[in-house]
Amino acid sequence: MKLKIIFLFIIVPLIARDIYFTRSGKVSFFSATPIEDIKANNDQTTCVLDLETGDVSFRIPILGFNFPNSLMQEHFNENYMESDIYPNASFKGGIKNWREIVLTETFQEVTIEGTMKIHGVSKEISEKGRISLSKGNVIGDSNFQIMVADYDIEIPRLVRENIAKIINVDIELVLKKK
Amino acid sequence: MKRFILFFLFFAFGINAQDDLIDLIEDVGLNSEPVFATFKATRIVNAQSIELPRSRTLELMILHRFGSMSDGFYDLYGMDEAVIRFDLKYGLNDLVAFGMGRSSMNKTYDIFSKVKLLRQKQSGNGTPISFAIFTKCEIQTVVRDMDITDRLTFDIQALIARKFSRSFSLQIMPTFIHRNLILDRHDSNDLFSIGIGGRMKLTKRTSINLDTFLPIGERRASFKQGWGLGYDIETGGHVFQLMVTNAQGSFESEYIENARGEFEDLDLFFGFNISRVFSI
Repeated sequence: MKLKIIFLFIIVPLIARDIYFTRSGKVSFFSATPIEDIKANNDQTTCVLDLETGDVSFRIPILGFNFPNSLMQEHFNENYMESDIYPNASFKGGIKNWREIVLTETFQEVTIEGTMKIHGVSKEISEKGRISLSKGNVIGDSNFQIMVADYDIEIPRLVRENIAKIINVDIELVLKKK
Repeated sequence: MKRFILFFLFFAFGINAQDDLIDLIEDVGLNSEPVFATFKATRIVNAQSIELPRSRTLELMILHRFGSMSDGFYDLYGMDEAVIRFDLKYGLNDLVAFGMGRSSMNKTYDIFSKVKLLRQKQSGNGTPISFAIFTKCEIQTVVRDMDITDRLTFDIQALIARKFSRSFSLQIMPTFIHRNLILDRHDSNDLFSIGIGGRMKLTKRTSINLDTFLPIGERRASFKQGWGLGYDIETGGHVFQLMVTNAQGSFESEYIENARGEFEDLDLFFGFNISRVFSI
């Protein structure tokens, strides 16, 4: 009987997952053309990292993107991203070679692979990022590019020159233990 | 006890087997965000919409109504004639806007304000409607010798709007108009009416709009119920509104109380609204 209770005490910490997360991850994107530059920031991104397996998941609320120009923000939601139908963009995947990675206080480059879902369209991606530890938090960042055409986002001919075909995306995360 | 441990293990692994990590963090959503674009412009067709000029922007709007189409090809369906209004309005923030305008009909100047008191929220248990108060003072200057008080007309409207879906929005507008001077003794100084307006999107950037005002109480014999049927085209920073209406004046006391056209003989007016927004 006693043995069983001890067994319980051992097994509970083992199966409790080592989850780090944030609800206030920063995602910004930048579209640069000779006509105009468009930038939007979102600081309401949810990101979860399983420290055991290296699995990563993102939930990015489209309505959470703030533009300096509110008309642009309305068009972004209503005409391009259709946020009433697709309220979130998401990513589900993992960090490659996670078993070989030892987190330290200095940034190290990692490759993140998985499925990006934007505007209802899923696409397998593999992008570089950096990860480190700081004061018990996991810090991550990444900078990559996405093609607008990959996600069925329709750009009318009239504004085709104003919106870049390749969008730069910046991600900054501070993940706390759950 | 053995059973308990088995159950416990099963339960623990059950949690472990959850297939998406993100489900561990509850989606609190952004339901408290107000809806955007209940209507695309600050007018539905003739009627004021719930929309304000955006915060800290100045909107110049030109409302153009051609002459009656009843003369047909002779004056190219009214194209030879025009009644024009331009107004300038400023969005102080997301809730308060004010402006002034001038209409060629009766050489009328006006000042007005639109104040939003409620904003419909995206979904969930948030506010289900948007509510705004529109107030206006008109002064006609077509008659040269007249007391200032006789020139004035006051309008107050409650705008109650709901965006039901991405393509359908509806607005109800209880309206009160007070005219200091009336020319027909069968007419009343104080007039109540209820406006109804709506839009149905056809594509992402175009919609069909309709508005009309139903009179409450007595009206003079020549009174006609004002209505407008419009087509909105959104092109980047502009909204272009084309319409057919039975009211030639595009300000409140005209299109609500003084519509003159009728279907018979095609005695209607073709027109358009265009707006240009300046960030300040």
